Amino acid sequence: MRDASVGRTVAGLITALVIGIGLMSLILGEARRTMTRSATEQNAVVTAAAAADVLARVRDDGGDLQAMTVALAAALPDLEQLRVIDASRRQLAASTHAADLEAGDFPQRLKREQKGWFDQAKELEAAHSTNVMEGKARKDEVLLRAVAADRLEVVLPLFDEDQVTGSVQAVTVAVLPADASGGLPGWIPVLAAALLLLGLLRLLPGGWPRFAAGLVVTAVALYLHASLGADTLTNTRLVGEQSVADHALDVSSALRGRPDVDADDLAVTRWNIDRFRVGRATFDDAGLVAVGRVEDGFDRDRGRFRQGAFVLSLLAVVFYYWVATGWARRTGTALVKHRSAYGFVVPAMIGMILLVFFPFFYGVLLSFFNKTLYNVNQPLYDLWVGFDNYVSIIADTGVVRTAEDGSRSINFQNFYWTLGFTILWTVSNVFIGTTLGLTLALILNVKELRFKPFYRIILILPWAVPNYITALIWKGMFHKQFGVINQVIQIGGGEPISWFDAWYTSFFAVLMTNGWLSFPFMMVIALGALQSIPNDLYEAARVDGAGRVQAFRFVTLPSLKPALVPAVILSVVWTFNMFNIIYLVSQGEPAGATEILITDAYKIAFEQYRYSYAAAYSVVIFLILMVYGIWQNKVTKATEGI
Amino acid sequence: MTKPVFWLATLAVAVVLVPTVAMAEIELVVWHAYRGKEKAAFESVVEVFNQDHVDDVRVKTLAVPYDAYADKITAAVPRGKGPDVFIFAQDRLGGWVEAGRTMEPIDFYLYEEITDDFIPSTLEAMQYQGNTYGLPMNFKVVTMIYNTDMVASPPQTSTELIEVAKLHTNEAGGKFGLAYSYSDFYYHSALMNAFGGGVFQGSRDPVLNSFENVQSLELMMQWFDVDKVMPAEPSSSLITMLFNQGDAAIVFSGPWFLSEISESIPYALATLPTVDEAGGAPMQPWMTVEGAYIAAPSQNKDHAFDFVLYLTGPAAGKTMALEGRQTPANLRVYDDPEVAGDVQLSAFRAQVEHAVPMPNFAEMTMVWSPATTAMNSIVRKASSPQAALDQAQKDVEERVKSLRK
Amino acid sequence: MSNRNDSVPHFWLHLFLVFMVLVTVYPILWVLTVAFSGQQALMFVDLPPDPSVLDRVRAVVPWPAQVSVQNFVDVFSQQPFGRWLLNSALVAAATTVMGVFLATTAGYAFSRFRFPGRRAGMMSFLISQMFPGTLTLVPLYIIIVQWLHLGSNYLGLILLYSTTAIPFCVWMLKGYFDTIPRELEESALMDGASPAVIFWKIILPLSKPAVAVTALFSFMTAWNEFILALTIMDQESMYTAPVGLRFFVGGFAEQQWGYFAAGSIVAALPVMALFLFLQRFLISGLTAGAVKG
Repeated sequence: MRDASVGRTVAGLITALVIGIGLMSLILGEARRTMTRSATEQNAVVTAAAAADVLARVRDDGGDLQAMTVALAAALPDLEQLRVIDASRRQLAASTHAADLEAGDFPQRLKREQKGWFDQAKELEAAHSTNVMEGKARKDEVLLRAVAADRLEVVLPLFDEDQVTGSVQAVTVAVLPADASGGLPGWIPVLAAALLLLGLLRLLPGGWPRFAAGLVVTAVALYLHASLGADTLTNTRLVGEQSVADHALDVSSALRGRPDVDADDLAVTRWNIDRFRVGRATFDDAGLVAVGRVEDGFDRDRGRFRQGAFVLSLLAVVFYYWVATGWARRTGTALVKHRSAYGFVVPAMIGMILLVFFPFFYGVLLSFFNKTLYNVNQPLYDLWVGFDNYVSIIADTGVVRTAEDGSRSINFQNFYWTLGFTILWTVSNVFIGTTLGLTLALILNVKELRFKPFYRIILILPWAVPNYITALIWKGMFHKQFGVINQVIQIGGGEPISWFDAWYTSFFAVLMTNGWLSFPFMMVIALGALQSIPNDLYEAARVDGAGRVQAFRFVTLPSLKPALVPAVILSVVWTFNMFNIIYLVSQGEPAGATEILITDAYKIAFEQYRYSYAAAYSVVIFLILMVYGIWQNKVTKATEGI
Repeated sequence: MTKPVFWLATLAVAVVLVPTVAMAEIELVVWHAYRGKEKAAFESVVEVFNQDHVDDVRVKTLAVPYDAYADKITAAVPRGKGPDVFIFAQDRLGGWVEAGRTMEPIDFYLYEEITDDFIPSTLEAMQYQGNTYGLPMNFKVVTMIYNTDMVASPPQTSTELIEVAKLHTNEAGGKFGLAYSYSDFYYHSALMNAFGGGVFQGSRDPVLNSFENVQSLELMMQWFDVDKVMPAEPSSSLITMLFNQGDAAIVFSGPWFLSEISESIPYALATLPTVDEAGGAPMQPWMTVEGAYIAAPSQNKDHAFDFVLYLTGPAAGKTMALEGRQTPANLRVYDDPEVAGDVQLSAFRAQVEHAVPMPNFAEMTMVWSPATTAMNSIVRKASSPQAALDQAQKDVEERVKSLRK
Repeated sequence: MSNRNDSVPHFWLHLFLVFMVLVTVYPILWVLTVAFSGQQALMFVDLPPDPSVLDRVRAVVPWPAQVSVQNFVDVFSQQPFGRWLLNSALVAAATTVMGVFLATTAGYAFSRFRFPGRRAGMMSFLISQMFPGTLTLVPLYIIIVQWLHLGSNYLGLILLYSTTAIPFCVWMLKGYFDTIPRELEESALMDGASPAVIFWKIILPLSKPAVAVTALFSFMTAWNEFILALTIMDQESMYTAPVGLRFFVGGFAEQQWGYFAAGSIVAALPVMALFLFLQRFLISGLTAGAVKG
């Protein structure tokens, strides 16, 4: 903080404001464009809905569909082309498109290259029936796409009673809402105020006060900018909604008075529908915009903008801190000074960032949404749930389940049981693997012991043979009637055991399997590490009168530490996430008691299709392991040099 | 031949060959998970298609190991990096339709002349939310397989079944009259459906703990625990071993089992018995149907459909039935005298009349874990069928709810 | 090397080792039994009715009813298993070279240089192992196939496997480098050698045991991986051996455990060969101490 010179504070302030206000303006601009676009789209939907309404009525009355199609395209100002698909008869029922008119009279049988139109109608039919069946709005019943820079195509279902039997495709010329911007762009007064405040900095003493003053200026500027931005958003929204209401009235008056149009069909609110064909009710039949209703619907958008602004402000503050305290300059100097060190690390780091950290951040991001199979195609920002997934994982505290008859049992599906079991599984596995591996390595390092190459090559076998088959062989060995282990027990006069009936016997079975699979790895690590111990250390210890135990404690173990500590930490991490063995051998039996967290996460993602929840689960696993890693690192000082 | 002449000749041949190669412009990529005989038969069928379409289409196949096949499709197809056509059982169909950009609806191509050729229940398995996404190639269904040295005539009813089974059971000696993966919910479906039970009803609401399902499990436990005619922990490898050693008289299994039977065991197939306890209704196993689907991002959908039509047609079906030992879904294959005369194929064809297509919507995968847990705790006698199913019902309801949230 | 165990009679050590060898080998003998049975069934014990103790003893001895090499013949003749082994060997060898190269350089920097971000860098390598990989298949597919256009390409797999192996290798090597006395480098520095020269000429030769361990680890990472290889490769001729092995089992089809076992045995052989080759570095007299003295 002592470094907070005026120059640096100003540099920090400018960096922070440029980043904060710049990025905020970007998202603000994007939000406004989105609002304008959705008003434009809504205008197109209104036109299409009006056309579809009229067409459905004509079809029901047995009128001339083609004549009405042509009449509608002429009557409605923004309607350019119209096409009616009768999917139940695989026909093109009516159209204004030149190519369709050339092809002959209507109805025409749909050709193979027109399959897409048929599929669209069927898609709308399926969407409608799904929404009805599930009793809510999940699938789009209005399809929208831009066919040219200023042309939108809207596809709506055509109903016969309650059944979707076809579709109406309408191409419209975009009807844009009035430009809602007015007054000064929000950032100009803010920047001016900030610059004025700069003068004050000179008057303040260096260190904390100046740093704090800079911080306050940054915060105030960002806040002002954000709230001005939010106001423009509200304004844009209302202007957009007014444009939709006006447009709906235009459409209505264009149709009014036609002999073939029923006046009852001209209630404009009927056409103001969202993508699930649910009425939006943002204005009434007179075209009066319901401001309260619009604002209600807008709250979520504004909330999202506020959250975004908050995150950006934090980012800006971080940059302010980075520059103002001189940290940035130090980073630059360090990069130059230690360039050979960074040169050594960079190749590995690039690979890690691309292939390890990127998917990791994707997972973390996903965990804050509610993405499932059923909404996988909805835009991610509609699915924001914040920390809900985490809360529901952690709040799952019912370890003990009380049955109706009052008896109590452990709920093996519970998160905390699974966590406890995972820890037990990890600790016992790493203990067995490390002890066995280390012991074997020490023995195999004994001078003049015979057959060492033979032992070494045999003992690494469990690592060498693909574990898919050896794990299943182990599972077979634990079979109640036909497994080797129970046969041996019976040879010894014992009773056969149902290994997968109780959690502790099931645990024993997976532990044996995984212990068998994992000790060779530790053995190889320890063998390698033992080579780093200079002989003279032992000599010295012996001269000092140390016994075997002391030599092991004071010479062997400390020398093994640099290699063994990372191996143990990583073993813990890998065993914690050891999916295969549980999945293949115990399969969680009995009743999910021997599931570990990672098998749970797998099931959530691939059996329950709750991608975000599974991601949150993964992040929880990650956090648990990170706490362990930090603790272990502290205890063993593994990142310290010698 | 001197060297220059040789090169000239080569050049001439090349000039002649190149245009014909260049003409086969459209390449269709097909993914499948067949192996062994099935793969050989499939590839020979594809080869015939290629011969017939030398001028326009060339089909290239890629075999993918089953265990990660679905993951590969999920990763590749929506990104436009997948095949034009792929073959898969119907169980993932609903999920892929929901995920989008994976399954191409094909109703547009379908007319009654086409659809009438298929066994109706197999075609039904290809439909989701009123749209058809594939044509059925083969179905796989569990039936009764018995050792003819031990069982002279196949039991027709559950009472007869248990009578026969008891004759061939000696638990201490590891001999069992009946062996099937009864604790596997998939295999149990035959009994469940016999009682009129099921997993979902109406708007896909789970009904795992229905009265019928409980009844069916009580009967299963009767066989296992009271009649004691079945082995413990019945994994599929164990059942294969028991049957091959002559230690199991009757097995309920599907076509995959037949090629695992050792040559020394004489066996025959019969339709699963009726269940006296369910008022004489037949056992009705769940059927899986392998469909050929067009990938939504395919650039050659019309050609892909022509290929799918060929693949599910009678000629291809006959090869796959006789050489690949698969059971085609196309009815016209069974008009062929060679196929009709094949006792195994006719046995599965007969069984399919009493089979229910396994649900193809995504909610189905949520059933397996809770159902397996329930099945195991029932078999372990850790809880009653009713209590275990109540718990499973609760779990599945919760999962369905959180998916639809 | 250690003298401390000299007073433990070798007899007891051999006894323990023989016991461990038996435990190690027993399940593998069952794999061999399945492989050499000529059959496809996964083995369970086979008992006569009312078995005696002797029957049970005979039943727990893994030995096929008849010995046949048919499974091995079929594995190679009915599919391009040789090709797949070759692909695996290529990918695994390249992964080993790349993984060891990236890890030795990074490990050396972490061990020898003091620079800002050193601890954070090391921790980030460790932390990267903590995020479970269940959900990363699709993001990895997007990166490798869509962004880098390395679908159906050995390089894609090599990159993936190297980065999987790097964190462990870096930590392992960093720990080992820490034990090498700095005096050696300091005298070289006096002679005007650059860090790169010191690294290649002094540090690497002294670290053979640790490099051997990391090489084996990198190789194994690539050798046994299955899902990524399957997802990324779109041609049968590009599959690796573990992908080929999975053709034999799974799904609603006959289970070819005999082929699987035979293939597994074959797949284990290169690993054994590599270990045989590397183990002289694991027991070599060439230790840091020896050089120092």
